[in-house]
Amino acid sequence: MTAPRLLRLYPRAWRDRYGDEFLDTVGQEPLQLQQVIDIVSGAIDAWLSADVRGTTRASAASTGGVTMVKSVSVCEKNQTRYTKRDGVVGAGVMLAGTVLFVLLAAFLKRNGWSAAAEAILVNGYLVAMMLSMPFWLTKGQPVKSQIAMIGIPTALLVLIAWINA
Amino acid sequence: MTKNDDLLAALGRFSEPALHILISLADGPKHGYAITQDIESLTGQKPGPGTLYGAIARLEARKWIEPLPVEERRRPYRLTASGQKVLKHRLESLRTIARIGRARLAEA
Repeated sequence: MTAPRLLRLYPRAWRDRYGDEFLDTVGQEPLQLQQVIDIVSGAIDAWLSADVRGTTRASAASTGGVTMVKSVSVCEKNQTRYTKRDGVVGAGVMLAGTVLFVLLAAFLKRNGWSAAAEAILVNGYLVAMMLSMPFWLTKGQPVKSQIAMIGIPTALLVLIAWINA
Repeated sequence: MTKNDDLLAALGRFSEPALHILISLADGPKHGYAITQDIESLTGQKPGPGTLYGAIARLEARKWIEPLPVEERRRPYRLTASGQKVLKHRLESLRTIARIGRARLAEA
């Protein structure tokens, strides 16, 4: 796994703002496992942290020249990316997913699958939230990034639930 | 703990890397690679790039450091006046903790 490939896991605004210097800091040497883990957790943080998202959008716009034009373009894209409809659809998917998981848990419990029911109740909301992310948080991002950011954690949650059950 | 310590502690798992970055920039502007090398020479551990830029973004958001124009693809950062203030308070706090710790060790 190379640094430029891992960089694709980061939001576009982040890459525009820090991408070049990030690659410069990483250098040309092969990455160690610890570095890969650090870069992947940095990507998750870059998606989820309001601080980081705010900085990458705002501060890049004040650096002038080409960077400013690029970041303004990114900001414009981001402003139009999240519409009221996206918010409603995202919330709807999250709520509907949670209700479905609760109903599934109730059905399983009635039929004697108490452990599985409990595992679904504990993880259902988180999985529903992750399934709603393509409609708001990661909307417009490359499919590979979405799979990495949503699919893998969701699969891990399901796996953990299955092991617990 | 002072208000400034609270501010740095509020960075959670990034508070220590953030402190190291502030210390690294205390003697002048540096770019990411130079900060990494400097922290490694200070602490013996090189911060990962994800951690480094997570901390840099947070320090920028709080205006404790600021970016300078890019030089040969490398963007230097410098400490701001408020960053100096936060760093100074944190170092004072650490000195107090170290003094108390040494005193307790001597008593034991």
